Amino acid sequence: MKHFFNRRASGTRGIAIGVGVLLIAASASATNGAAAANGILKVATSAAVTTWDPVQSFSTEAFYMTSLYEPLIWKNEVGAATEYSPALATTWSHSKDGLTWSFDLRAGATFHDGSAVNAAAVKASLDSAKKDGGASFIWDPVKSIEVVDANTVAFHLSYSAPLDLIVSSSYGAWIVNPKALDAVAKDSKYYESGIDAGSGPYTLTSYAPGSEVVMSAYPKYWGPKPAYSIVDALITSDGVTAQQMLTSGQVDFASNIPLTSMASLKLNHKFAVKAYGSPFNYVGYFNTLRAPLNNPVVRQALSMAIPYSDIVKVGGQGYATQARGPVPAGIFPYDSATPQYKKALATAKTMLAKAGVKNLKLKITYASENGAEARFAPLIKSAFESIGVSVDIQAMLFSQQWSLAKKDPANAQDLFIVYYWPTYSDAGSDNLYSLFHSSAKPFFNLSYWKNTQYDDLIDKAATLTGTDRAASQALYSQAMKILYDQAPGISFYDTKAVYVVPKAITGFTYNINYPFSLFFAKWSPTK
Amino acid sequence: MLKFVGKRLVSALFVLFGATIITFILSRVIPSDPALAFYGPKATLDQSARLRKEMGLDQSIVIQYFKYLKDMLTGNWGYSISTKQPVLHELMTKVPSTLEMIFVSIIFATLFGILLGIWAAKNAHKLVDGSVRVFSIAAVSLPTFWLGLLFQLFFVGRLHWFPATGEFDTELKFLNPIKHVTGFPIFDALITGNFHAVENGLWHMVLPALTLSLYSLGLISRMIRANLLEVLSQDYIRVARAYGIKERVVLFTLALRNALPPVTTVVGLSAAYLLTGTFFVEDVFNWPGIGKFATTALLNVDYPAIMGITLLGAMGYLTINLIVDIVQAKLDPRVRSE
Repeated sequence: MKHFFNRRASGTRGIAIGVGVLLIAASASATNGAAAANGILKVATSAAVTTWDPVQSFSTEAFYMTSLYEPLIWKNEVGAATEYSPALATTWSHSKDGLTWSFDLRAGATFHDGSAVNAAAVKASLDSAKKDGGASFIWDPVKSIEVVDANTVAFHLSYSAPLDLIVSSSYGAWIVNPKALDAVAKDSKYYESGIDAGSGPYTLTSYAPGSEVVMSAYPKYWGPKPAYSIVDALITSDGVTAQQMLTSGQVDFASNIPLTSMASLKLNHKFAVKAYGSPFNYVGYFNTLRAPLNNPVVRQALSMAIPYSDIVKVGGQGYATQARGPVPAGIFPYDSATPQYKKALATAKTMLAKAGVKNLKLKITYASENGAEARFAPLIKSAFESIGVSVDIQAMLFSQQWSLAKKDPANAQDLFIVYYWPTYSDAGSDNLYSLFHSSAKPFFNLSYWKNTQYDDLIDKAATLTGTDRAASQALYSQAMKILYDQAPGISFYDTKAVYVVPKAITGFTYNINYPFSLFFAKWSPTK
Repeated sequence: MLKFVGKRLVSALFVLFGATIITFILSRVIPSDPALAFYGPKATLDQSARLRKEMGLDQSIVIQYFKYLKDMLTGNWGYSISTKQPVLHELMTKVPSTLEMIFVSIIFATLFGILLGIWAAKNAHKLVDGSVRVFSIAAVSLPTFWLGLLFQLFFVGRLHWFPATGEFDTELKFLNPIKHVTGFPIFDALITGNFHAVENGLWHMVLPALTLSLYSLGLISRMIRANLLEVLSQDYIRVARAYGIKERVVLFTLALRNALPPVTTVVGLSAAYLLTGTFFVEDVFNWPGIGKFATTALLNVDYPAIMGITLLGAMGYLTINLIVDIVQAKLDPRVRSE
């Protein structure tokens, strides 16, 4: 402090401090980039873990589950030579009527504690998934599971269903060590500190809730040894921060970079921006319990007021296409012949007048945490206002939007915007059923719409998917035409899955059937 | 003095009790389905009903409150819906990282705030003073999360001087793991001789601590400047200067000593502000502390975690206020008699 006001001394001190900071920065930054050499793959992701219980799992932890666990078979990505790949089952077949399915298990596959994966473990896992699973409904067609011998398991179905699709589901189809199933039956908090009980290429090494997940390669894995011996996932909710981490070299990969950043990242020679078809889409439910929205003509008129191409541009930032009904493109039973609404403001206005609608006021709700909804919801408001419909638009957390919609449906919102995806790659039994099939108590059908003709078509189509896919598709297409005509909801757009893939990494693939997951075991450093 | 402290403690307990009632009611009034945070957005009706029963949400709000109060006093602060861990355990493991950041931020804010304030006062009404004033106003008024992103863009994205996020390099835990002694990571690294971790931790600390400290730094520098100018205009300073006492002695020994005491209040209140400031800073810098835990809890309407964080925050705020009161009472007997 003695010479603080001495200009010369002050300058020297400033330079010294600056050099010190730079030296620390330079020496520490030298540790960057050491990861790949050590076989450590560092990933930034927004994927939080709601549970480590593979039976209960029904959310974003799927990001890790595909590395820790295996199903009987995998459903391959679009464009693959075969529809399915063997996982813990090597061969499988079904009876002509589709009511009995048999799976032969892989010899030599072990759980991470070294115990063998056998038919008893498969039965215990899938019985548990059917009884207690988060996605237990996918097992509805399965009457019983039989252990034929140590390496063969048979499924007996009460009605024909596409069991190959079900056993390859991204939720509720993992094969789990029976010891863990016993443990969790005694202590429901068994998994919570971060334990895995799978047979996948990686095993869970450490877990810091909300912060970090570390997975290490399982040395006795039956398949090829992963090139990265450690995957360190840093849970980073903010997309811009994840982007900074990637571009500064702090992580090797980031899975949650905002769409709005893609244009600038395309110019960066270190990365390739890749877009894939995804199972995600945006849907809006009209509240069909309330007048005048209980009139299909009013719903059609409002559907014609929507500026679809603007919403695709603003919401999807160019990485989207207008939806054809609630089934996303690339997922069964998508039908490219399903009609779409087009923006026609004059027609919409005339239809509203003919229906006797005057001074209509609508309340729209959307999830505030969803950036795309926040971007495109105002476009709906201004479009409706241009045909004389005033709008109160409310952003709230999804959990609140969800609660309000169920509390008192008749007095709830008029339009509920939702981001949706199928539990497994059958949007007939999920999207078409969950979103619009009638139910005594509303679950995901938040248009509260009831149509017996639609229900019959969906119910019948579901029983044909396993044995006669074409007949099933035809029924689902009819059902989607009813949705177009009756307009209980608006199908906004199908999104693309967009990833920034570093050129330093080889083997990146996106599988539409496991939309939350990345298959790290197939990745390697580019030579 | 004991009576004074006792009175303050009793009123602090009342404030704490009031805080529990307000946060409890607010968290229960918000319409939200905790099952969505617990099981994910596709939680089934069965899962939702089961969870509500397990959490006691099917009981009356009065019963829920007294059960909460009883559990809280016995150290059971409930389970976080989003992390599935005991709330108290979560808080205890995350608090050290936050306190380390707050500690560095306070030192940074106090040291540079005082120096800037002195510099501005010494050059009052000149270009330097104007520049410091602009800087201080900007530091106080710019939103923390925006500043954090700006620093990331400039110091990380452009200059590559500092890491974008995190408390340490990812590799550190594999190559130079820190031995757990007190739970304060950089301090533990220091006392166990893991100097690579200390250096790495400090390197990671620079941007978040700088972001967090700017608000307090601006306040402190403005206050020091104003107090110092007031003191410097007093008669005893004029007399000292007339006696030919060196300017350095006048400024640092005679004037600064009298300009500093009011700053203790600002530093104390700033420390409390920093606790809530970490909500944004930790989210932007992915810092594994209480702030990041709080934002996750808020976004998931994680009742037990929100209650725990609020209670801990209130305790921290009251403790700091109590310390400030005691220090002030010690320095100024009139405060005690009030």
